[in-house]
Amino acid sequence: MLLRSAFLLTLAILGAGAARAQDRVPVVITPGSEQSYRIAVQRFADGSTPPSSERVSRFRETLQEALEYSGVFQRVPDGAFLGPLSTEALEGGPPIVCSDWTQVGADALLEGEIARDAQGLRVAFRVWDTVRCRDLLRRRYTQTSTTSPDDVARRVADDVVEAFLGVRGVSSTEIAFVSDRSGNKEIYVMKADGGAVRRATANRSINNFPNWAPDGEAIAYTSYRQGNRPLIFLSSRGTRRPGRVLTSDGRSQYRAVFDPTGKRLAVVISNGGASEIYSVGDDGRGLRRLTESRAIEVSPSWSPDGKRLAFVSDRTGSPHVYIMNADGSGVRRLTYDGSYNTNPTWSPDGLWIAYETRVGGQFDIWLIDPEGKVNVPLVSHARSDEAPTWAPNSRHIAFSSTRRGRADLYVIDRDGSNLRRLTGDAGNNTAPNWGPFPR
Amino acid sequence: MTSVHGGERDERRREFRRMVGWSAVAHLCVLGLAVVSPRSSSNFDANQVIAVDLVALPAPARSASRPPPKATKAPTPPAEKPPPAPPKPKQVVLPKNAEKDPSKKKVEPKPAPKEAAPAEEPAQEKDLEDLLAEMREDAGEETPSEVPPTTAAAPTGVPNAGMGVQVSPETLAWMRKAKIHVRRAWIVPPGFRTESLETRVVVELAASGAVVGKPRIVRPSGNPWFDEGVVRGIEKSSPLPPPPRAGEWDFVFLPEDAY
Repeated sequence: MLLRSAFLLTLAILGAGAARAQDRVPVVITPGSEQSYRIAVQRFADGSTPPSSERVSRFRETLQEALEYSGVFQRVPDGAFLGPLSTEALEGGPPIVCSDWTQVGADALLEGEIARDAQGLRVAFRVWDTVRCRDLLRRRYTQTSTTSPDDVARRVADDVVEAFLGVRGVSSTEIAFVSDRSGNKEIYVMKADGGAVRRATANRSINNFPNWAPDGEAIAYTSYRQGNRPLIFLSSRGTRRPGRVLTSDGRSQYRAVFDPTGKRLAVVISNGGASEIYSVGDDGRGLRRLTESRAIEVSPSWSPDGKRLAFVSDRTGSPHVYIMNADGSGVRRLTYDGSYNTNPTWSPDGLWIAYETRVGGQFDIWLIDPEGKVNVPLVSHARSDEAPTWAPNSRHIAFSSTRRGRADLYVIDRDGSNLRRLTGDAGNNTAPNWGPFPR
Repeated sequence: MTSVHGGERDERRREFRRMVGWSAVAHLCVLGLAVVSPRSSSNFDANQVIAVDLVALPAPARSASRPPPKATKAPTPPAEKPPPAPPKPKQVVLPKNAEKDPSKKKVEPKPAPKEAAPAEEPAQEKDLEDLLAEMREDAGEETPSEVPPTTAAAPTGVPNAGMGVQVSPETLAWMRKAKIHVRRAWIVPPGFRTESLETRVVVELAASGAVVGKPRIVRPSGNPWFDEGVVRGIEKSSPLPPPPRAGEWDFVFLPEDAY
């Protein structure tokens, strides 16, 4: 037995040596400057009754803008097309000639059909990897007559991003925020690219801290609409009952944040001179106190699994980020650097917590991992960058900044690149909260 | 007792002889393989061979993602942040801008802008390395390697790392050209550039440099979309510069310059 083992061992050693001898030195490739795929977007075939050239053109423009917003694609201009500018038919049409597209530098081709009739809006599309000459995705959307073609175009763009990146794009998602553009601080909602702004509240009081329900059907927010005390309200476009959440509690309620199930909220409530974090059902029942200290405890943010909460406490004398279990146990301090850290927000993939930290007289946005091992700056500027909120794909962060004087909303990629301004010159825009993927 | 000890001695002697015998067999096997094994290259020329030590740096900790390497301003080490504000006894500090009583009008403490706002769009950094390489290629010059000519960087996990693999100058020069050529065609979207990923691919090249058949992923990164992008990049870069020999070549793709 021993001899046999020794023999096998010898053979294994010899075999490994022989295999190593055949290994080749690899060519190591690191990235160049190319960061985006060139995509040719055809005019979709129009199956509407009656046909509308304007609808098709607008759909295509929205689609191309949404693709470019992702940072993953850049459009191939119409003048460069060697292949047909319009889709003839998705099924039964002439086969695509990949070389027509690769010759003009297109890495991808998007073709499709759009039809608006009595049944509603129908869109079908197919995206090609022209380099490898194979289709990556075919999908069909059928929407009710009230659905905007722009919304469908953004969804198609997000699908195409996912086909190439494995991570869904976010152009079809929405961001809620606070703006004083009407003279009062009201809650507004806009598309993730800053378009289609609409007002969600119009009570002419002070409204703040909007927070989306995970199903995107409601927004919780703080409002002075019923007197001189802040209370939590729901604005609903689904089945939830709009109005006050905690009807039986008359204390000041500063902020509410939905948990990942959407069935409970973490709520900051005044408790004597300080404020504490509680949790409560979305129907206002089952109020439970989570923090127990004489300090101020604010800014709760749920982990994506709903088992933990990041929050801010000044129990050591200055505000820092802490983490606790969902039942209030297991409190541990997360940030030690800086003298003033606040507004933590947990990324949907659970890997990072973005927060504000004071540097000099203004605030920067940093990222820290939930174990506190890595702590890095994301946004630094001579003026304040505040209130970070994560895109549902965890790839982008929106925030409010006073770098132009008034407060505007910006979005930046998680790696610190691709900074874009979302709001124009209308009022101060603060407290962004990024909504979920549409259903 | 004696007989027991004697038996043990005899057994050990027998075992020792067996081991010596097998050791001799093993040595003969090694010698035999060394004699019959093929040379690493058919045009092996000892005078032209450079001994290359592959130096593998310690791998960074694997994680689903890396911290963002780029910031809109140079990162400030936490230790260099302004010292904590002087303590204010018995004064409770309310976190800024959060859960403050909004009814109290906030006095704007921030100064009015004194200068034009800086450019908001971060400047797209030009890949200087590529530009230089392109200019040198246009001028017919050879692009200098990123590493001294007698060494070659190897990604983590590359076998033979640090074992002194021999690569001819001709091969080394082609590898440099191939790298420049492929990285121009390889598109790496921003989302991948901070990930800890590594894909090893075997590519069959014709003498002309054309990619023959489909590139074969021999070590996937764990992210199939990244791997797809790698294969897309290789196919897009066909034909590569003509290699020193037709056949299979190994490529390792890293989304960031981590090594």
